[in-house]
Amino acid sequence: MVQRFIRGIIVPALAIAVWEAASRTGILKLEFLSRPSDILAAGIDGLRDGSILLATAQTFEAAALGLAIAVVAGVLAGTILGLSRPIERTVGPTIEALRPIPAVAFIPLTLLLFGFGLPMEGTVVAYACVWPILIATVAAVRGIEPRLLEVAQALELSFAERMRKIILPAALGRINVGVRVAVGFALVVAVTVEIVVNPRGLGYSLIVAQQSLRIDLMYAQLLWLSILGYTVNALLRTVRTSEPDLQAGRAA
Amino acid sequence: MSVQKVGLTFGTSRGRPILNDVNFDVLEGEFLCIVGPSGCGKTTLLRLLAGLLQPTSGAIVFQGHRVSGPSRSRAIVFQDYPNALLPWRTVAGNVALSLEACGIARAQRGAAVDALLAKMGLQNAADQFPSQLSGGMQQRVQIARCLAQQPKIMLMDEPFGALDAITRQSLQDELLAIASERRMTVVFITHDLEEAIYLGDRVIVLGANPGHIVELVDVGLPRPRNQLTTREDFKFLSLRHRLFGMLQGH
Amino acid sequence: MKRLLSTSSIPSLAFAVALIAAWQFVAESRIVSPVFFPAPSLAFEVLGVRFADGSIWPSIGATSLRMLFGWAFASLLGVVVGAAIGSSAMARDYLEPTLEFLRPLPASAVIPVAILFLGLSNEMSISVIAFGAIWPVLLSSVYGFGSLQVRLREVSAALGLNRIEFLRKIAFPAALPDILSGVRVSLAICLILAVVTEMQASLPGLGRDIFLAQRNFRSADLYAGLIILGAIGFIANHVLLQIERRLLRWRHPNL
Repeated sequence: MVQRFIRGIIVPALAIAVWEAASRTGILKLEFLSRPSDILAAGIDGLRDGSILLATAQTFEAAALGLAIAVVAGVLAGTILGLSRPIERTVGPTIEALRPIPAVAFIPLTLLLFGFGLPMEGTVVAYACVWPILIATVAAVRGIEPRLLEVAQALELSFAERMRKIILPAALGRINVGVRVAVGFALVVAVTVEIVVNPRGLGYSLIVAQQSLRIDLMYAQLLWLSILGYTVNALLRTVRTSEPDLQAGRAA
Repeated sequence: MSVQKVGLTFGTSRGRPILNDVNFDVLEGEFLCIVGPSGCGKTTLLRLLAGLLQPTSGAIVFQGHRVSGPSRSRAIVFQDYPNALLPWRTVAGNVALSLEACGIARAQRGAAVDALLAKMGLQNAADQFPSQLSGGMQQRVQIARCLAQQPKIMLMDEPFGALDAITRQSLQDELLAIASERRMTVVFITHDLEEAIYLGDRVIVLGANPGHIVELVDVGLPRPRNQLTTREDFKFLSLRHRLFGMLQGH
Repeated sequence: MKRLLSTSSIPSLAFAVALIAAWQFVAESRIVSPVFFPAPSLAFEVLGVRFADGSIWPSIGATSLRMLFGWAFASLLGVVVGAAIGSSAMARDYLEPTLEFLRPLPASAVIPVAILFLGLSNEMSISVIAFGAIWPVLLSSVYGFGSLQVRLREVSAALGLNRIEFLRKIAFPAALPDILSGVRVSLAICLILAVVTEMQASLPGLGRDIFLAQRNFRSADLYAGLIILGAIGFIANHVLLQIERRLLRWRHPNL
């Protein structure tokens, strides 16, 4: 295990070392490529004065908002479509037509509707995230043991009760897969919107750093973004291994 | 030209020997069967003969040279045929792979493939993909591909183990026919004692923990063999009696 | 992504038409400001005009070319590098952690860096597109080549195939399903990044058109642009799916 860890570290560690040495001896020009040591310093400063953390919070806020909307809309719509073939056949093509539109294309529209700020970004994130959740929910609902649905009918449960007590718990596993994909999207889309227009969050700080030629800060923020993304992914992976596999038992 | 395999092999895995002091020769043109209970190391032995593994002691000599790696002259038929066939090539394509590997020009390949397919009864399946075939057919494809290599020796690892009894029997007879027609040298691994006696000229019984030769016998039954008469032959039954105890005893 | 939702003409068409009609009604009755929700008829009118006078084609062309160029470059590079890394266990050990670390970085985040080095230019756009597009292909190629069945490796060794033959006849076809799915994801990313970089650098193309439309409050143009983008995305994905289906015929031989 330790040996694998070392092997994994060697390449980046060497690259950074070479980079630092080359910068110091003047082989690499300094204007567009800062020294790793400067980047680290800028990063630590940024963290200490709270600017990076504030920006992170803003980005996460928008991502979370968009995700929340996407989850509610996606699960609801996905359940309806999954339960009713006729509805799915009617609405399906419209969805297939909407899905390929890149979420970022909605930036100007949401800008028009909401102006700069949180709602606009959240909406774009929501649009991007709703599709994987919708599709996963449809698959999840279709995969529910029909016997369970008959039980729900026999008990004459209302739609809300059916959702709460039977459908959601049974479909949770597969819906989660879609949610995990969506979480990945959420962060990326939020940062993208900030880079293009929205004056808040990590994306915006990146652009500000670039425009004010604080190159070391820019790279530091990039590094921070990488670390964030990596951490989020790692967390998602641990969630997966710890949740019980509700679908596995049914396959037998 | 005699094919010698002097095997004095001692393979270990975390200190536990898998095979210990195995010695035997494989004679040219013979059909040699190796039987043993599961875990006795017969698959390991075959992989050593093939050159996929190296012994920790002793050597395997093939036609005067030490075996240091796999070679086209030693064809291997694997037990898990789905994994050994290329799923993206048709039956004809899979057989052609061997010919391509042997460097046969495209122009000659077609006829050679057709001949081999006809020999194995696969001519109607030439354009199908392995996934569309039954287990028996897939194993025939693997055998056809091995024959296409023009090997000096065929090494077969429980090739019929995953097939149903009826398919197994017809494949056994087909194999015997091809082997005798081409005077092929075959080393055939199985856990089925009756299959070993039915197919082989000689049978090696391998014991377990660690793998070692318990007995090496001449089968001495006349050829061609017949599923009904040979299996009822007195010699067949007495040999079976004799070896049965050895298998159980270890 | 697989097409999970099935289609059937009449009810679905009726639904779509009804939706558009409802929107038209809402727009015309001015319940919501027409600035934000123009009637669909206006959006289609804009499309009609731009197609008629040909002014739409440069935009479509610019965006599509950017997307395809970056995608082709990234796919090729991704497969080659992915093959090299994937087929060597040692390379995987050394490089996979670094790749895993770089992967979650949003491609758009490198836009500021790209602007620094290349300014607000086409080169910047293509570099960003290629950077973003290479990951799905690279990673799925590494996976595809790395997960090659042991048995196939042994068959290859037993047949005496040299390294190039092995890669060409065994490793590559075996990895193709993974490579193709990575390539498809990559194309979607290319479209997104093409639009984003156009917006960012004001490069000619559909992204910029939409952006300008917003700035000038021409919402009909905005929606028209969205429709075209959706169409491009749909067609591109569909074409790739068909190609994939033909190349991977062996997976569904009975269909």
